[in-house]
Amino acid sequence: MIANKYKISVAALVALLGSTVLASAEIKVEFWHSFGGVAGAALDQIIDNFEAENPDITIEAQEIGNYNDIVTKLQAAIPARRAPDAVIMEVTRYGLFADRDVLLDLTDYVEADPLKDDLYNFAREVGVFEGKNYIVPFNSSTPVLYYNKAIFEQAGLGTHTPLKTYDDLLAASKQITEKLGDDGITGIAAPGQFARWGLIMDNDSDLIDSVSGEILLDAPNTIEAYEFMASLVHEHKVASPDGVTKENNGRDAFLAGKVGMMINSTGNYGRSTSALGDDLVVLPMPCNKVCAVPIGGAGIGILSTSEKEVQDAAYKFVSFAASPESNALWFSETGYMPINKYTPEQPLAAAALAEKPGIGVAIGQLDFARGRPRPPVVTWMRASEYDMWQAMALGQRDVSEVLTEFAERTRAEAERLKR
Amino acid sequence: MKPENPLLALLALTAGVLFLSPVLYSIWMSFQTADAYYTGKLDFTLSNYEMAIGQYNFARYLLNSVIVSGLVTIVGLAVATMAAFAFARYRFPGGNLMFGAVVATLMIPSHITLIPNYLTLANAGLLDTYAGLILPAISNGFAAFFLRQYIRGIPRALDEAAYMDGATPLQVLWRVIVPIAKPAILSMGLYIFITEWNNYIWPLVAVGREDLYTLQIGLARLYRIDPGEGVINWPLVMAASTITILPVLLGFIFVERHLVRGIMMGAVK
Amino acid sequence: MLRRLTPYLFALPLLSFIAVFTYIPILQSLNLSFREWDFLSPTKPFVGLDNYRLLLDSREFWNALTVTSIFAVISVPLRLLLALFIASRLLRETLVSRLMRGALFLPSVTSTVAIAVVFSWVFSTDYGMMNALLTGLGFSKVAWLQEPQLALGVLIFVNTWKQLGYDIIIYIAGLQAIPGELYDAAAVDGGKRGHVFRRVTVPLVMPTTYFLLMISVIEAFQVFTIVDVMTGGGPAGATDMLVNMLYRVGFTLFDIGLGSALAVLLFIFLIALAIFKARVLGRKVHYEA
Repeated sequence: MIANKYKISVAALVALLGSTVLASAEIKVEFWHSFGGVAGAALDQIIDNFEAENPDITIEAQEIGNYNDIVTKLQAAIPARRAPDAVIMEVTRYGLFADRDVLLDLTDYVEADPLKDDLYNFAREVGVFEGKNYIVPFNSSTPVLYYNKAIFEQAGLGTHTPLKTYDDLLAASKQITEKLGDDGITGIAAPGQFARWGLIMDNDSDLIDSVSGEILLDAPNTIEAYEFMASLVHEHKVASPDGVTKENNGRDAFLAGKVGMMINSTGNYGRSTSALGDDLVVLPMPCNKVCAVPIGGAGIGILSTSEKEVQDAAYKFVSFAASPESNALWFSETGYMPINKYTPEQPLAAAALAEKPGIGVAIGQLDFARGRPRPPVVTWMRASEYDMWQAMALGQRDVSEVLTEFAERTRAEAERLKR
Repeated sequence: MKPENPLLALLALTAGVLFLSPVLYSIWMSFQTADAYYTGKLDFTLSNYEMAIGQYNFARYLLNSVIVSGLVTIVGLAVATMAAFAFARYRFPGGNLMFGAVVATLMIPSHITLIPNYLTLANAGLLDTYAGLILPAISNGFAAFFLRQYIRGIPRALDEAAYMDGATPLQVLWRVIVPIAKPAILSMGLYIFITEWNNYIWPLVAVGREDLYTLQIGLARLYRIDPGEGVINWPLVMAASTITILPVLLGFIFVERHLVRGIMMGAVK
Repeated sequence: MLRRLTPYLFALPLLSFIAVFTYIPILQSLNLSFREWDFLSPTKPFVGLDNYRLLLDSREFWNALTVTSIFAVISVPLRLLLALFIASRLLRETLVSRLMRGALFLPSVTSTVAIAVVFSWVFSTDYGMMNALLTGLGFSKVAWLQEPQLALGVLIFVNTWKQLGYDIIIYIAGLQAIPGELYDAAAVDGGKRGHVFRRVTVPLVMPTTYFLLMISVIEAFQVFTIVDVMTGGGPAGATDMLVNMLYRVGFTLFDIGLGSALAVLLFIFLIALAIFKARVLGRKVHYEA
């Protein structure tokens, strides 16, 4: 009896100690991401909310740089075994890491999570590579066309100006550059890679076929699209070469009121309104031959090298970040699209849709949005495309010659990666 | 010194200032506010330095640079001096071959070691540590070669006398050779320090953690990320650049002659 | 026993550092250059000479080789000529000449990154010093770093600006070693200043010239920092030099095999150059001097 009592009290003590040990043994999740400024602040808020709900988990968030920087740093970290536990991965560039088992297969987590039924189909799809789920969407986007109302008015343009085709874009850019060039204002920002991809889809083509995975870099319509984009810079001089040598320069010049139009991710909405205020107008992408936009953005993946309990904690966060509450906060601050079906009902999101003109434009494009395939070669292709674009946009080399050669090399690289 | 033609002297000084004008102007610019700079007004301020040191963590980078360059210099000098002593004072089997291997490193371009060294340190778990920054920079073939030549010029009789008094080889090195070779050792120390201070490609690949950045990496990154959305905040960048240049610049003013002499001696040999 | 070991013990620390961080890595690079690896795969399959073939077939490699060669062919003679000319004017030990030497030498010990950043500003299109000068003189702005040919020119300029002082110091050392009587003899023979310079100074300073030629060629083939900071190899590959390509292939594309093959080729080239120097030029210098 006494012995029993003793046993019980020991057991209770152990349980008590055990639970306090567990409670105090904070699980740390190292998380690499790519968000600064307005978006960075919104992410911090989401993390704070998560930690308030899960006091035993700490998210150690680090802003690494842009998507390219994350890919580079993650790849460099593998032999050094210093990869994080969770990482933001752009939707076309995680295939390589999934293929090499660097990312954890999250299929079981997702299947067991009610979240799976709440995500829009387009959003759920971005996380799937070869039938398995490797990332959970966090920020989804399509490119949109931004313009500066004040510049448009000074150049004699306005809401009546058509901006549907390549020719429309060129005409408007020319008018702005001619009228306001002396004030250092140019028509359009040199398109960044995401915008280039969008303009190529508008021309009824692609870089890599979304269904068959065929490389379409040298398809006639792709070449035509690149010819048009390159001509903006070196032939018509309506886009500054600054944005060619350094992609963000184009965006930054638009934010500084030095450029009339910009095609860029809807994720720049928050940043752009805070820079331009009421002068910012958002339009859907042009539809040169067809209406089509790429789905971009990123999701969060979990590293296969992390410990199981860290992976569990990381998944909790991943799921939390995609919840209607988090997603509404994220959407209303940044302009990235809702990924959760219940997000628009959230008060924050509803208020944003009602009060922030243009924030819904990207969502409206979902009817003709296309997912993009993500075989391992895309990482290489996107990293190499910048130099090709520079050569074309600066008029150094013939567009079709560059693309024919680039297509061949990409095919060869795809073969190598398969081995 | 002979008196000079004042006109010629003035001309030469103007040319010198003109030559250095980009750097001089950048230092001047670092004391301007960004607004004043872009509008062409004058407005002296230290705020760029406050921002660089505080918000942009350059105090930390400065500390890292001092630690890394300092340790590389001290350990590098010790290692080079010992080897130089062995090669200058002993004839031993394999000695010539070893000395040849040391001298040959002068011809070996460092880039060939970039990827393997990355992997070696990755396997040892030493990337993102001070050790990872320091270890590959320790061996300096030029310093060893230079000091060996110098030590050979020191009369052996001095060593012999010390040995007669019962000194060990280490004591001979420390009490006889090092004091005499001090000017050469100091020259090499400066040379190693400056080389390491300005080292870029290795820290670039070996360090991913922001709190281990050296000044060079911090500066290149600050310039690249364009603080101040829209246009580069040049005065801030120049403040950071001045912090990067200044320690060597100040040191240079004090030790220019040693440094120049060291380089000249090395070249003429 | 211990006495015999003494020299080995003294040399051991240096030799082990050299072995681990210089010689073994050369073999590792060679090994990796026959393999295919991206840091991610657990295996590194042997692919024979594939990487070398791929490299020699690629436009990037020939472009980088051409760009680097142009850089070397222009910047090396430019540096040497300027340095010899200036050094011959700064031989006297006067205050002014010492101050000048100091000013010219300063950049060569200054941080390359800082210099690259400062000159990025000097040559920046909108706020740069160069364009401020040009517009002040009534010319229009030039996009220095966005025009392919200009960008390479800017890099050559910056590199020359940085390295010139070092060359000058070495030349001064070389010139000061020339016995004064030779000049006197030439002067007695009625040589004019330019004549003396060509007939006496230039030949006698040949060993120094060869020394500088070698190190500046080797340096030119390893230029990285100013490229990385100022242009990143752009625009459109116009300043993509070999080491910049190596860094890109190795540490942004992670084609470790290809990067290693490039490193090995560059290594062989530079070693051949160094041996050429020691054998051929070395002899020639002795005959002339």
